[in-house]
Amino acid sequence: MSKNETSKKALLSGDEALAFGAYEAGLKVACAYPGTPSTEILETLATFPELDVQWSVNEKVAYEVALGAAISGVRSLFACKHVGLNVAMDPLMTSSYTGILAGFVVVVCDDPGMHSSQNEQDTRWVSIYAKLPMLEPASPREAKEYVKQAFEISEKFDTPVILRMTTRVAHTKENVMLGDRVVPQQPPFERNIAKYVMVPGNAYGRHIFVEQRLKKLKVLSEKTKLNKIEPGDKKIGFITSGVSYQYLKEIYPDASYLKLGMTYPFCDDKIRAFAKTVKKLYVIEELDPFLEEHVKALSLKCHAKDPSFRIGELLPELVPAVVKGEVKQEKIVAKRKPRLCPECPHWATFATLKKLDFYVAGDIGCYTLACLPPTSALHSCLCMGAGVTFNEGWRKGAPDKKIVGVVGDSTFVHSGITGLINAAYNKAKGVIFILDNSTTAMTGGQHHPATGLTIRNEPTKKLILEDICRACGVDNVDCIDPKNRAEFDALVEKRINENALSVIISRHPCKLLAQ
Amino acid sequence: MADKTCNITFGGTGGQGILKAAEICGWAAMYAGYHVKKSEVHGMAQRGGSVESHVRFGKKVFSPIVQQGGADLLVCFHPEEHDRLKAFLKPDGRDLVEYLEKAKAAVENPRHLNVFLMGVLSAYLPIKPDFWLQAIESVFKKKYVEENKGVFLKGREMGQL
Repeated sequence: MSKNETSKKALLSGDEALAFGAYEAGLKVACAYPGTPSTEILETLATFPELDVQWSVNEKVAYEVALGAAISGVRSLFACKHVGLNVAMDPLMTSSYTGILAGFVVVVCDDPGMHSSQNEQDTRWVSIYAKLPMLEPASPREAKEYVKQAFEISEKFDTPVILRMTTRVAHTKENVMLGDRVVPQQPPFERNIAKYVMVPGNAYGRHIFVEQRLKKLKVLSEKTKLNKIEPGDKKIGFITSGVSYQYLKEIYPDASYLKLGMTYPFCDDKIRAFAKTVKKLYVIEELDPFLEEHVKALSLKCHAKDPSFRIGELLPELVPAVVKGEVKQEKIVAKRKPRLCPECPHWATFATLKKLDFYVAGDIGCYTLACLPPTSALHSCLCMGAGVTFNEGWRKGAPDKKIVGVVGDSTFVHSGITGLINAAYNKAKGVIFILDNSTTAMTGGQHHPATGLTIRNEPTKKLILEDICRACGVDNVDCIDPKNRAEFDALVEKRINENALSVIISRHPCKLLAQ
Repeated sequence: MADKTCNITFGGTGGQGILKAAEICGWAAMYAGYHVKKSEVHGMAQRGGSVESHVRFGKKVFSPIVQQGGADLLVCFHPEEHDRLKAFLKPDGRDLVEYLEKAKAAVENPRHLNVFLMGVLSAYLPIKPDFWLQAIESVFKKKYVEENKGVFLKGREMGQL
């Protein structure tokens, strides 16, 4: 092969390939908050200097900035993990009504098996709920190709397009060919009150548009090569999508397939036509019975997995049992549990919280690992920001208990500030610890407003945590290094015994930052 | 070029450079002209927990993960993980765990263990050394390329004995 060809080849993850595809499609703006397994999409996009790329404060903000950019006339992208999409659901639902001007792609990475997540919700349902088209690449090559098609569909049908991946697509690497960037001509930004001001009267009109759009998208779903019949042995036919397709092809290479790359709206005619050609029809998918329920609603006789397989990943070694309709045999594999790094500052903070036997409302971050032995000193983990609000909630039913809340620095900026204002406003008491390791550590060390640096390491306005806590109405704000053990213990004991709302910023940089 | 897909499982614990090792193997297979899929898990799993990566290459690869009992080669970085990982190995698969202690003794810097083991692995794969060296150039920053090439070649020597 020539040198030139070599330079155009790369081994890319689904996240990276998607970023390259978006870049080649003329993307201009990309926004996200870090979240495994979606983080590398923005990290890759940030390496292209001509793009406007940001870590946003949280997913709702990211979604709105990116959507706004699309409405102003430039192709834009929002990326998140599945639970991140929950935070952005408010703008997402109504953006289905407003539509876009230039292409807008909503990338969501689900985490079946919860490699690094608090639940395994199946984002495919969002496409039905929000009445938005959804594409599902099954490999990095497809991620790169599908994102380009997503921009085309977005512009042709005036809609955000959901591009859903799972961990095994986002974090699989495959050899991919790189291409040239082509920027489409920018449409003019215009005022359009009926389209962009969603007051009831206008929204009614847009809802009519949305329903018509769904009908047109269904026609596309029937026609598109994204939904592909691969004829094979007529005895067995699989309807499948995403990485499940890859596992099946490995084990049943000769079977017939209907591989769905555009999973919503459903291609009913194609599904019916495929069902007619095979003797035994199987619907095989990971997580929820999204395709299965629809195929059954079409009155087609099909075999699908036992409900016990809705839990966890559909690993290749499980596929034969899934196809046979067997019940899942839960096997406990003794995997080494993750733990905080040896010199992590969270060890010091949690040593104190454990010693003082607090009920600790936890949050999302590395410090969630403090729930594990030998520390076992963190007693809840629900969602971003709940470390602050659970402190308030728990005190309602257990006023005599020693309750505190913990939240990371990045998490506090993401979703903790509103909870802290709520606590002050509603006269809640207690101590909130901001575990400030000066980075978004769990996802690999991304910047956020309180680090004072952008996604490209450029200096920017720095959010001062002490100042914002005071502005929220907190009575006492202290900042201390938890590795100063005696001093830290004394401060915690003092604050917990006061009838006040206090924040202790437990500040010591993450060890990984130094590397 | 081999007709059959080659399956390799890598495993150990967070911080041992397992993902980097699998990355080198993936790039080398790509340069050798194969279709490659490599899977890995990031995030919480990397905080000192079990880490696993799979590389599969051949004419056309579908699944990104090796199924249990499907690995032609197992590269284990941590003896305590071996019991769990050997479930991936084919009955006639090659277990490179026999090299682990020798490799640890051979490297001056423990951080080089991953690249050394890739050298060992390279002796068992139908990928020419030039493609491995090209892969090292692709995955390391320039200033680390030469030392890693050296480590790799020493590992390869051990694998060829």
